[in-house]
Amino acid sequence: MITPRFDELIHAPTRLSLVAFLAATGWADFGVLRDSVGLSDSALSKQLTTLADAGYVEIRKAFVGKRPRTSARLTADGRTAFDRHVLALQEIVAGAAGWWPRPAGHPSSRGAASGGQPAPGGVSP
Amino acid sequence: MNDQIEPADAARALSEIGRRREQVIRRAAVPGWYWWATAVLTIALSAAVESGRGHGVLAWIGLALFMVGTLVISGLLSRALRGAPPRRDLVAPGPVPRVLAGIAAFAAAVLGVGLATGLSLKSAGVPWSGTIASAVAMVVFVVGGQILMRYHTAFLVRRSGGRG
Repeated sequence: MITPRFDELIHAPTRLSLVAFLAATGWADFGVLRDSVGLSDSALSKQLTTLADAGYVEIRKAFVGKRPRTSARLTADGRTAFDRHVLALQEIVAGAAGWWPRPAGHPSSRGAASGGQPAPGGVSP
Repeated sequence: MNDQIEPADAARALSEIGRRREQVIRRAAVPGWYWWATAVLTIALSAAVESGRGHGVLAWIGLALFMVGTLVISGLLSRALRGAPPRRDLVAPGPVPRVLAGIAAFAAAVLGVGLATGLSLKSAGVPWSGTIASAVAMVVFVVGGQILMRYHTAFLVRRSGGRG
């Protein structure tokens, strides 16, 4: 079972777009990623390196004929971190709406139990 | 835990994630140029076959060009779609028969319109009936193909909701 966990590394706007795109695909070409997310070559390269250093992205360099071709995909760790981050975001939004079904004893459920709204941003790790 | 994130920020992030998922699905749709290129090739083949009656060289040249053109189009299409293919589990399993029925209805409409037009024109003694019928069928192919693709993509986007 995946538990929610907010991930600062993924949440940065550019990386969120990049990881969200990668989460929906398998291997994605560097050029497709660049054009889809709207980044320059150097900016994309920097973001991919950051994600690769965290173990979230795997980068593959191959040659098609004589042309180098770089692709990237999320690793299993990256996918898990993304899934947990999405759950954390959903919990924040749902918590603010006041209907998120929280288990007994959950820190955020105390506010709801006492008649108040659960604190926004009450995401448990 | 992160207490710094406002619900509005989280909602924006979720919306961005959904938008990127949709982008991947829409990228995988057969592009508009494919329908036009295939239509042009088919009409050209019909014209070559009809004009080649009596001296078959033109028909053979037309057929060869059609085959080369089809290979080029397939290669370009495959290259365009290969850049970021959607994950297999991105879309929830759906009613496959409905999708297949849509494709079958589309193929039947193209063939039906082409055959009906061709036979009608031929029986009326209209010259170039095959080419005209092919052009009419290809109008259905181009318009219908793009509508079908839009419908199919929207269907996939709907079914992908909530999946990573």
